[in-house]
Formats: sequence, C-alpha cells, structure tokens
Amino acid sequence: MKKKGWLRKAAITWLIGLFLIAVFADFIANDRPLIAKAEGELRFPVLHEYGSALGLTAPYQPVVRNWKRVDTEWALWPVVPYSAGATDLKNSNFKSPFDAQETGPRARHYLGTDKLGRDVLAGLIAGSRVAIFVGIGSLLISLLIGVPMGGVAGFFGNDGLRGSRARWWGRSVGGLLGVLYAWISLLPYFRVESFGLTVALLITGFIVGGWLLSLLLRLVPFFRKPTSFPADSIFLQVVELFVNIPGLVLLIALLAVINQPSLWIVVLVIGVLRWPYVARHLRAELLRIRSLPYIEAARISGLGKWRILFHHALPNALGPLMIVSAFGLGGAILLEAFLSFLGIGIPTDQVTWGSLLRASRSRPDAWWLAVFPGVLLTFTVLAANILGERN
Amino acid sequence: MLRYAFRRLSLLPLSLFLLSLVCFGLLQLTPDDPVRRLLPDEQARMSSNDPGAYDRSYRLAAASLGYDRPAFYFTLQNTALPDTLYRVARPEERSVLKAFTLRTGNWPAVQKYYHTLKNLAWEVRPEDAPETSTTLRRLLLQDDFDRAKSTLSTLKGNPGLTSLQLAFQEMENGKQQSRLLLPSFHWHGTNNQYHAWISRLLSGDPGVSLTDRRPVGSKIGRALKWTALLNGLAILLVYLISIPTGLYMAGYRGGYFDTITTIGLFLLFGIPSFWVATLLTNFFTTPAFGMDYFPSMGFGEIPDGSSWWQIISIRGAHLFLPVLCLAYPSWAYVSRHLRRSASHELDQAYIKTARLKGLSRSAILWRHVLRNASFPIITLLAGIFPAMLAGSVLIERIFNLPGMGQLLYDAALTRDWPVVIIVVLLNGLLTAIGLLLADLAYAFADPRVRLNGTKPSAS
Repeated sequence: MKKKGWLRKAAITWLIGLFLIAVFADFIANDRPLIAKAEGELRFPVLHEYGSALGLTAPYQPVVRNWKRVDTEWALWPVVPYSAGATDLKNSNFKSPFDAQETGPRARHYLGTDKLGRDVLAGLIAGSRVAIFVGIGSLLISLLIGVPMGGVAGFFGNDGLRGSRARWWGRSVGGLLGVLYAWISLLPYFRVESFGLTVALLITGFIVGGWLLSLLLRLVPFFRKPTSFPADSIFLQVVELFVNIPGLVLLIALLAVINQPSLWIVVLVIGVLRWPYVARHLRAELLRIRSLPYIEAARISGLGKWRILFHHALPNALGPLMIVSAFGLGGAILLEAFLSFLGIGIPTDQVTWGSLLRASRSRPDAWWLAVFPGVLLTFTVLAANILGERN
Repeated sequence: MLRYAFRRLSLLPLSLFLLSLVCFGLLQLTPDDPVRRLLPDEQARMSSNDPGAYDRSYRLAAASLGYDRPAFYFTLQNTALPDTLYRVARPEERSVLKAFTLRTGNWPAVQKYYHTLKNLAWEVRPEDAPETSTTLRRLLLQDDFDRAKSTLSTLKGNPGLTSLQLAFQEMENGKQQSRLLLPSFHWHGTNNQYHAWISRLLSGDPGVSLTDRRPVGSKIGRALKWTALLNGLAILLVYLISIPTGLYMAGYRGGYFDTITTIGLFLLFGIPSFWVATLLTNFFTTPAFGMDYFPSMGFGEIPDGSSWWQIISIRGAHLFLPVLCLAYPSWAYVSRHLRRSASHELDQAYIKTARLKGLSRSAILWRHVLRNASFPIITLLAGIFPAMLAGSVLIERIFNLPGMGQLLYDAALTRDWPVVIIVVLLNGLLTAIGLLLADLAYAFADPRVRLNGTKPSAS
C-alpha cells in the first residue's frame, strides 16, 4: 500500500534520528561550551572531556568546575546548554516551560525543570542515549544467542546433522565437563581474574573437553554408530522451558538481587530473556527456506552444509530477521523505561525517560515531566511496531 | 485427548522444578545475610563489644534456621576446599576461607591462620588498643590475599601478632598449588537446605516474611484476592470488547469502521500503558488540575450497612481507571489478531457456502468464523495470565493498590526473599497452567488436534 510506504519511512527516520541524538548527546546538551576562547587560547571543552575520559589529554589548567562562571572572550554553546544531571538552583522547584525563568543571557529551559532545576530537555536527550544503548545492546545479545540456535534448529531440523554417537555425546557431555573443570580448578590455579580471560578459558575448556571425550568414546563400539543430532527437538524443549519462565517477574527479582545496579546487567538480562522470540522466527523462516529449490541445487552441486547455511540460507532470512529485530528493539526500550520507572536495576543518578516519568508522580501538576518523556517513548515504540508489522 | 493432556501435564513438574532451582539459586546468590537480619538489635550491637558471644549466638540462630546444612544435595568443588565448608556459619567468613584456600591450596594452614586471627581479634579489646583492634577486625573480612598480607606486615605491638604473622607465613610458604587442579564431588544426602525448603513448600508452608515475620501464605492470599479481582475484570472486559471488534473489523473489511479501528488499535497498542496510567493518575486523581474525579488510592472503604449499590459505586470508582489501563493493551492485541485470523477464515470456501445458503452476515461471523478463528484468542489467553500479573506490577504501583504486583515490588526492594520467590514460583505455575489450558482449549475447539496430538500453527 502507498500509505504504508511513508509510514515506514517516517518510522525509520525517527529511529535513525534517535540514534544520532543518542550518539551525539554530549554535543547537543551539555553545560560546557563546544568551543570557547578563554585564558587567551582556543578550547574545545566537550571534546576535551572525551580526551580525558580516554586518558589522552590532561584537564585544562586551572581546572574548570563550572564553565558558566568562566569569563570567555567568546563561546559556542550547545543547543541545550545544560547537562542531564546538573542542578540549576535559580530555576528549581518545577519551572514550567512557560514560566518566567532566571537564566540570564543563556537559553531558557525549553521543556521546564524538575525539583532541583534539572533541565528536562537535557534529561530527555540523556534518556534517549540510555534507551538506544539498552535497546541495541540487548538486541545484539538476543541475536547472538538466537541466530545460531534458531538457524541450526530450522535449517538442519532433526535429521540434517549426522555424525557418530561419540561425536554428539562427546561434544555435549565432554564440553560441559570441560567448562566445569575450567571453572572449578583452572580458574583458581591460573589466578584468572579478568572477565575476558575467564570467558576464553571456559570456551577452551568446552572445546578441549568435547574433543577429548569424543576421542575416548570412539573406542566403544556402541558410540561408533552414526546418528543424527536432534537439533530441532532440543531447541523446542529449551524454548518451551524459557517461555515457562515468567520473564518480567523474574527480571524484577533478578535485578533486585544485584547489589550494584548497572546498565550492562540490564542489557544482559533483557537480551537473555528475549532471545526465544528471535530464534523462533528465524527457525520458522529457515524451515521454509531449506525446502526451496535453490538450496537443493546448492546441495547437489556439492557445497558443504555449513557453507549453504551461512552463505545461502541465512542471508535470505535477513529480511524477516530485521522485522523481528525492530519489534524486539521497541520491546527492549519499553522494558528499560518500565524498569527505570520502577527504579529497579538502573543506577539512580542516570536520567532516563522512565525516571522522569517517575519524578512526575511526586508533583502531578508538573505536566511537562509526564508528557514529554511519554511522547518520546510512545513514538519510539510506535516506530518499532510499524517496522515490525508483518504484512 | 486424555493422553494428550497427560503428556502436557507431565512436563509441568519438570518446569516447576527447574524454576524452583533457579529461585533457590537466586536465594544463594543474594548478597545479604538473612541470619543477621533475624538477630535482635541488642545482639548486633554486642558484635562490637563481645565478638565471641556474638559468634555463638549467630551460630545458634543459623542452626535454628537450618543454615548450618549444605546448600544442595551435592557439592562439586575444588579438592583443596573441604567438603564441610558449609559448617562455617557466617558468609563473610566463608568467603575469606574460600578465597585463601583457592589461593594457596593448603586448607589446614588457612584454617590455622584464621583460627589464630579470630582468637586474637576477640582478645584485643578496643579500649586497650583501638587501632590494632579495628585492623584485626577488618582483617577478619579481608578476602584479598595480597592486601591482607600488606596489612599484616604493618601491625606490631601485641605479642599475639607474631604468632599470627607466623601462621600467615606458614600458609604462604606451604602452598600446594597442584591440589587445585583436582575437582572433587561430595554427596550430602537429603539433609540439605534445598531439600528442607522444597519439602516445607510442598507441605504447604512457604515460610515467613523477613520484614514483618508474617506468614508468606497469608500475605500472598490477601494480595492475590485483589489482583484476581482486578485482572478478572480486565480479562472479562478484554474479551467482551475485543471479540466483537475483531469479528466486525474482519466482517466489514476495507470499510470505514475497519480503517478507523485499525489505526486506533495500532496506536493504542503502541502507547505504553504505564504512561497512560501515570497521566490518568496525575490528571484525574489529584487536585492539581481541578479534575480529581476519581479516588486516588486503594480499593476504598465500605462503610458498615451500606447497600449493594453503594458497594458497587465505591469499588467501581476505585477500579475503573486501573482496569481500563490493564485492559486496553490486551484489547488492542486480541482484536488485531482476531481480525487477521477471521479475515483468513472469511476467504475460505465454506463461508461462501454459508453465504449462498442465505445466512446473515452476523450469523456467519458468530457461528462459523469465530470458532475457526479462535486459535489466536486461545493462544492469547495462555499468555494473558502471566502478562497481566506482570502488568499489574506497574498498574498497582501507580494506582497504589495492595495486590500481588505491589507485594512483589515491595518485597524485591526490601530483599524479602521468601515472598519474592513464592511470587515468582506462583507466576511460573500460572504461566504453565495458562499454557496447559490453552492446549486443552485447542483440542476442544479443533478435533484435528485431538486426533493428531499436535498443536496447530496458530499465527
């Protein structure tokens, strides 16, 4: 339909715009100037902040705590000259966008302030960064788990993967034992503490354990018999188990366990809880694709099965995968807003759309606190839904 | 049919068992210490004056709660660790011992060091040597080997310190790294915490809340009543509205009604209900804008001797907004799905037959299409139980209603684990029951399911 076309375009534009705002948030809303001439030299305070965070540059001397008090010859300020968490006590106690504001020559608080005079627009921009981070991060995690699982289950089914019993039993049981051994004994022995090394050691344990046990099992005649690996049945069972787990309730319980709230943990938990959606859609799509003639042709021409899966089948499933991803993105962003609205799992000093909404509950007549974050959230979810709509 | 139901039913205990394992795992991972919370405050104060006596009362309290037992049926751990580590009651102590043993591999030396340290820390009174005493007590919790070493080397003055430093050196020199390479498996039998917990749970005693010592069962019972009322009304509303909406949208495909409702439902589905609920509470339950038409909290008080009409009007005023907010996302969802499956059915040949027979449009929709298009309704019914319980966390929180969602939220924030875990388990049970009911309903609606024993692919 013609009408659908412009809607999709608008949705894509909205999401890309949000992404750009999230990436360049520091250049749009910041309480330090982009470029300023002070102390007789040209300074780039916002860029410099990145430099010192990365350890590349030393802070300006003398250290500037508040750029608004610095006498600059001239300065180019961001569009919103306020930072998300920074208080402005002159405009505290819920100034509406239309109230008289004491901002002096600087820009008004376009969308009002909260109790401590924190700028709502700056908060919304910082919130979009959190939303995009959680949305894309958790989506990537669900894709990372869901694509291999759903791809293998859908493409190979129950009889596509053939090999000796020793191979399947060895790899699954031996791999598990290898991981356990690496966890129990090798980690303390080598005194591994960093996260990356731990993961590397566990993966090594899986591979070596699987290889050793399958070599060993090959000596037993019973295990030499060829069978097919029931990938699809196992996949369905695992998904069934995951679906039975009450996602949101478990999420609240899980995040309450964790002492130090952090966005990374929220991303991880949302990603892990939502992979079945991705995997199921991919499985259904590959079930259809694997019976198409061109796959048959590729098989007859002697290509390896993994090559067919990765080079021929999966690229064809990309479209439906994008649709599920768009839908998942919206869901994850909604879930993040939900959690920060409840104040669970997200650091308290982080301004998000949900935290602004929560703040509005303590002061019902401050409508700007309730309306603007909600509108942004709604548009984002609607955009994701439009893209995720199956026609 | 029966066999089909039975097969589904047999998977239910497995799911619940796994969920109970997850819950119990969570319980083990929790950073705070339930025993300390149960000790009276005087005893907690005693910990600074007389740590020895505190330790004894802690042990007693831990034993009375069953925390002196192993956590699970077996332990799989490093050989360097003793299989009786669980007998060390305090978690902080346990983590120090574990870290040091995993570092040196020499359990007896670690044990000796810790024993010396403990005795010394209890002996040195804060009045006599305040600095040494605090350092020693801090060392009791220090699970970083290198930091403990540097702290120890700075200490001097007390004769007992030399023996402590000696014990530490012995531990450091007597490293048995190679022991770390062996794992060990130890079977504890049924005398363990999980077994005790699960058997108490199965016999109908979910324990007491950690915050107010009230039985979890009664707390949940009281909250469940309200959540059931709220969600029951919401589900009723959803189906009462969405079945006609979906059917007539499909029946008058392409017409004005269909177009407008499609757009409206799409918008409704996308608007987050917790935002709408926040707006509604802000505008209509507070005097901020002069529009406080609805009461703001709870379910209302019913005065004695009020008539049934008064009861309904009071409860209705309190329930109207929450039920609306709880129902509208599902309403949009169900209608849209029903429209899709109903329009699929309307293209089938049997509808043409029915029309040729001269049946009216509404007779076709209600008698023929609805039954065949009912799969998505059933699928949604399965998902609606848990989704609504989750949804009521927000709605109950926003409207201040004392239901399950509020209970879960409060319990999670105060780390009241017995309550959180029972709510999670209950929710898992509801999810599983919902799925089971849906499967049975599929079989009821479509005889093919009964014959093949497979679930239809409902879109």
